[in-house]
Amino acid sequence: MSHPYTIPSHQITPLATLTPSSTTRSWQTQPHPTLPIIASASSDKTVRIYSLTSFTLLSNITGGHKRSIRSCAWKPNTKGESVLATGSFDTSAGIWRRWDVEGEGVRSEYDFTRAAKGDGSDGEEEDDEEWRFSVILDGHESEIKGVAWSAGGQYLATCSRDKSVWIWEELEEDNFETVAVLQEHEGDVKCVTWHPQEDLLASGSYDDTIRLYREDLDDWSCVAVLNGHGATVWSLAFEPVGNKKWLSEVEGLSGEQQALLEEREKSGSRLISCSDDKSIRVWRRRPKEESVGSNHKGGMPSILRTNSIEEDWYEEARLPQTHERAIYALDWSKKSGMVVSTGSDGKIIVYKERWKESSPTTDTAKDGEQLPDAPTQDSPTASTEWYVVAELEGGHDVFEINHVCWAARRDKDKRFEDEEVIISTGDDGEVKVWALEQG
Amino acid sequence: MEENKDNANPIILSASDLPSRLREGVTKERKDGGTGLFDGLIPAYGYPYDPFELPSSPSAISSDDENEVVEAIDEQEVYDLIATICDPEHPLSLGSLSVVNLPDIHITGPSSPRSKISTVLVEITPTITHCSLATVIGLGVRVRLEQALPPRFRVDVRIKEGTHSTADAVNKQLGDKERVAAALENGTLMGVLRKMLSTCE
Repeated sequence: MSHPYTIPSHQITPLATLTPSSTTRSWQTQPHPTLPIIASASSDKTVRIYSLTSFTLLSNITGGHKRSIRSCAWKPNTKGESVLATGSFDTSAGIWRRWDVEGEGVRSEYDFTRAAKGDGSDGEEEDDEEWRFSVILDGHESEIKGVAWSAGGQYLATCSRDKSVWIWEELEEDNFETVAVLQEHEGDVKCVTWHPQEDLLASGSYDDTIRLYREDLDDWSCVAVLNGHGATVWSLAFEPVGNKKWLSEVEGLSGEQQALLEEREKSGSRLISCSDDKSIRVWRRRPKEESVGSNHKGGMPSILRTNSIEEDWYEEARLPQTHERAIYALDWSKKSGMVVSTGSDGKIIVYKERWKESSPTTDTAKDGEQLPDAPTQDSPTASTEWYVVAELEGGHDVFEINHVCWAARRDKDKRFEDEEVIISTGDDGEVKVWALEQG
Repeated sequence: MEENKDNANPIILSASDLPSRLREGVTKERKDGGTGLFDGLIPAYGYPYDPFELPSSPSAISSDDENEVVEAIDEQEVYDLIATICDPEHPLSLGSLSVVNLPDIHITGPSSPRSKISTVLVEITPTITHCSLATVIGLGVRVRLEQALPPRFRVDVRIKEGTHSTADAVNKQLGDKERVAAALENGTLMGVLRKMLSTCE
């Protein structure tokens, strides 16, 4: 497939393979929100915790689940303690805790030495005791596919092949209450993710749709259905806060470009999705004030309230189609605004958004173009486009790659402030760390 | 017993009609064991190799993981791997029931010189259009190929167009890696699959 703009400007270069790795399929790897560690969920029913400083195994969390651990998520905003949620094919979710030890840098150095000395076995057993299996969350009828904490850490969402999304609230430590069971989807729910600033939850499904949920008068309900994908939606990510700066940093923005940025500001974080249909789509919310202001003035506050919870999201853009098979995962960088994706074809691709050269005629054949159903009349004519920054083939040799994400670079060779690495997780069981380099 | 089957009277091909590299020169395969007189002259009917033989056997698929030698694998070999799978409700092979057919196996090589990924597409033909076991059969085919072929092969198993009433739903399930992975951790289903995969003869 050819891309009109794409001579990739960057290279994805290998930094490390985390060792020792799982000998069977690994599903997902998640970086800790603050510490230089990552958790990797494996089909061997365990979670491996690795150091991003030394690239070695710190502990192996075992014994909690009876089947594959499909997903894991670190609770944000914890103090002095790390909390990890796991979702398993055994239909349960687990909550694991461990007291953080001293300063993060010191701690990881210490663990590294110990793990290296014990060469695995001895050190591991000791480390295992640090992780306490604190709660098991039962309720789903079949395999749990995804788990996600809300931005503030108040809610945990889980989703399953049983077509439901559950929201759990931690009332006090280790006491989780089910606050919602959302049965909107018509097929397996493959993924869940929370908006970075609002208590807005998104789920993607085997029924090819994306649904958004929000709490209204003590009840959680579906506020939007995003139709468009032609096959299973495998992964979702919201645009990180502060992401708009990448476009606003450009010098000499036109009035139209300023207007688009302002409108996006009103929309809030966008949502990006990837699918078995090999496409990656960006979704944006139509700013609220307009619809409410024009449709309802005065009168009937209760109806207005009910109406106002519904949200109107539309497909804003499509990323260049580069993958040849199902796209299993993507992540939107908090630091650079770039998006990384991976999938069955074993490719890792990095994309970036930029201002589109203003040309009055739209070339319909171009990749990553603005879509026809994006608003054209009442919105600014300035537009952006996504292009491929870097592309890597065979990231895990011939194996499928199940997950990819960004993480802050924490090893000694870090080149600049805010540098990030790409972390990929494959069917070969391995977790690999990649740097993005110019040229 | 027979009444409970989705298709109690399937059409069965004789083993000698099945595609094979070794068929040339073999005019007729006698299922009764033969008279004994010509046994030594007729080459024993068999498949080019048995995927369950020990790796030391020269006829087994050699893993190309270590030496990176890419071994050509053709449709006939794929056919031989899956034709012997047992039908879940008849004591017959998928080959003899024409559930799997050589012309419905398609191998596509890497899409670019940098890629090492090849794709095997197998279209299966359920014996009757509403066969509820189509998913299990498809799963058996996918599992057999994923276990026997080198990991550079992506395996796509689909219902042949126009041969099944809920083909789209079955295809979607068979194409869903996560569902397949979860199914393989299901003890009951694995029992059925194991029986199917223990070659019929």
